Amino acid sequence: MLRPDRKSAQPDIWLYLHFPLLPLETLLPQVPTEQVQKPIAIVNLQKNIQRVLCCNTQAAAWGIEPNLSISTALALCPELEVLPRQVEQEQQLLQQLALLAYSFSPVVILNNSEVWLEISGCQQLFKGYDALLQELENRLRYQSITAVNGIGQNPLTAKLLCGSKFETQLPDQTEIQHRLLNTELSLLETNRKQQQSFKQLGLNTVGDLLALPRSALSCRFDSELMLTIAQLNNEKPFVAPYFQPANTFRDLIQNPQGIFNKESLLFPMKTLLQRLCQYLMARQCHCREIEWHFEPLIGESQQMQIQLSGSQNNWSTLLMLSRLQLERLELPRSIEQIILHADQFIEAPMGVFNLDLFDNQQTAQQSCELIDSLNARLGIDALSQPILNQDYLPEQASTLATPGKHSSTGINGKSKAPQPLWLLTDPAPVHLRNKKLYWRQPLTIISGPERLCGNWWQAEQQRDYYLACDSNGARYWLFRETSSQRWFVHGLFS
Amino acid sequence: MPNNIATVLSRQDTWRGHSQRLPRRAITTGHNNLDLLLQGGWPISALTELMPQQPGIGELSLLLPTLKYYADNNQLCVWLDPPYQPYSPRLAAADIALDKLLVVRSKNHAEWLWAAEQSIRSGALLLAWTKQPPPRYADLRKLQLAAADSGNAAFLFSAPSALSAPSPAAMRLELKGMEVNQLLLTVRKQRGVAGGACLQLSLGEANTQRTDLALLPADRHRTYPIQQLNN
Repeated sequence: MLRPDRKSAQPDIWLYLHFPLLPLETLLPQVPTEQVQKPIAIVNLQKNIQRVLCCNTQAAAWGIEPNLSISTALALCPELEVLPRQVEQEQQLLQQLALLAYSFSPVVILNNSEVWLEISGCQQLFKGYDALLQELENRLRYQSITAVNGIGQNPLTAKLLCGSKFETQLPDQTEIQHRLLNTELSLLETNRKQQQSFKQLGLNTVGDLLALPRSALSCRFDSELMLTIAQLNNEKPFVAPYFQPANTFRDLIQNPQGIFNKESLLFPMKTLLQRLCQYLMARQCHCREIEWHFEPLIGESQQMQIQLSGSQNNWSTLLMLSRLQLERLELPRSIEQIILHADQFIEAPMGVFNLDLFDNQQTAQQSCELIDSLNARLGIDALSQPILNQDYLPEQASTLATPGKHSSTGINGKSKAPQPLWLLTDPAPVHLRNKKLYWRQPLTIISGPERLCGNWWQAEQQRDYYLACDSNGARYWLFRETSSQRWFVHGLFS
Repeated sequence: MPNNIATVLSRQDTWRGHSQRLPRRAITTGHNNLDLLLQGGWPISALTELMPQQPGIGELSLLLPTLKYYADNNQLCVWLDPPYQPYSPRLAAADIALDKLLVVRSKNHAEWLWAAEQSIRSGALLLAWTKQPPPRYADLRKLQLAAADSGNAAFLFSAPSALSAPSPAAMRLELKGMEVNQLLLTVRKQRGVAGGACLQLSLGEANTQRTDLALLPADRHRTYPIQQLNN
């Protein structure tokens, strides 16, 4: 993928991030707290032998180091806690880390377990490169991720210069060049045959290699190395697709010990919502709906959907709504896994930073939040909105519907006849006593009729509507069915 | 809790001595006579309790101008547990945006109280109908305090039997039907004024014509109360 046109005057600054303890740090949150202080090693199957991939400092103190076989490691340290590597979870964590990097720079490359950032355009936003690097280190440390970095003018240089600690000072161009030339050639990723030829030629550092004439090198080495050299010299670009946040959000937190009450669910839910909001921020959008899955070890999982009448990118509001809805939910006894899923997004509306002077936006936002919280606590069945339909029969002209789902279609052809404010959902039959109408009290007709017909395609309804009142002056909306001549109350003029 | 002096001073119930008394904040009822009786209109930042003697005498029509005012202001109007279904064509005829109305049904008293308080605090206009048994004094006080904090009007429709019980509402009005379209309002409680003032309010043309069942059809609908209400 080619980079869009940019000012060529400013040289690129590539930052390479390496996470040496990633397999361990993926699994650490799931380790019970009392075991975290014990020696732990992550093992991986290599050529049919389980070998140590990485270990924590407690294990390193026992002499455990990467590439030891599992039996040697256990012989060295009998108490060693051995955990198998979880590649899938590692990839998820890498996606999260790439998302974090994406909030620092729009140019992020995620290639297997390597992350690169191009930060030359981000100096102003973070008030200097050193501040940017410092902030990045803080954010990574907050997520308890160990990272080391390398800085160079191109991705390959950055990777070659990756040291053993996180640098927060940006080296200048000559410093970078100097370091590159002194880098050992054994760090260059090539096959063994080529490494051997380097030795035979007496080439020890990258500087030695680059000092040789290009034509001589091309006779001796394959095109792959020539490409690497061209890339190190900034002559050819490093081709890799840029990282883009995924189209849907799905994240989970596992808790092998199980969560037994709703209060302790809230903490992992908060973490997940914060990740969602980081994702929303990166994509500059708001979500319209989120979905929770609570999965127990045994049995059916429980789902909870939170629909928003507006849109939202604020984790505390989402947490409040989730909490309200959670109160109504019957949960499995012990929950092992919490999944948060969101796939309905809209572009972030303007003025999300509360910069607008007029609070019109704010009242609309308040209304949406009120509907959402009522919805979360009382359930969607408890809420409705009156709707005007294009129909003649009153009970069909005026219906109730779920808020925000329908819009009024009726044209308000102002009827000449008076209309009531209350409608009885089921018309109440009126009795006739001494040739007088009676419903709760004796009623007398004031005016009428207005004939309304409808529903002719099914059972035809023909009604004569009258206005009636009782002795206290309360007014009623009566109708007489022309077919049966029976009287009904259909509304009250409140 | 209010966190600065400006918030405290902007509240209506902060006493600052007679010379610096803030004008009473109220929202017009849409009826001049009623505005005079209520000293400016419906109090905002307060709970108003209406006690109609029976449904159908025009108690809701009284609030139509207020509903329209709030809906035009893009604020939500929450109808909590209305006794019947609101009839949309009538509301549309009064030019009230239907998507600003929200009908909420509660399943128990705790939900009713929570929804009412939440609505008031979220800047919505609340019309709440009490159910049996009537809410306790402490619950209503919660709503009154919420209204005082929010700066919005809130209306509570209670049964006439509630009149004998004390209420923390800032204003209590008893409504009686006299004739068709004629409403008798009695102020039972009002801040700063002794109660007992009455007003006969005309919500439309008084129609005295009655037709016997045997003589139907009666005159076609001669009067159109909606148009007169809007005047």
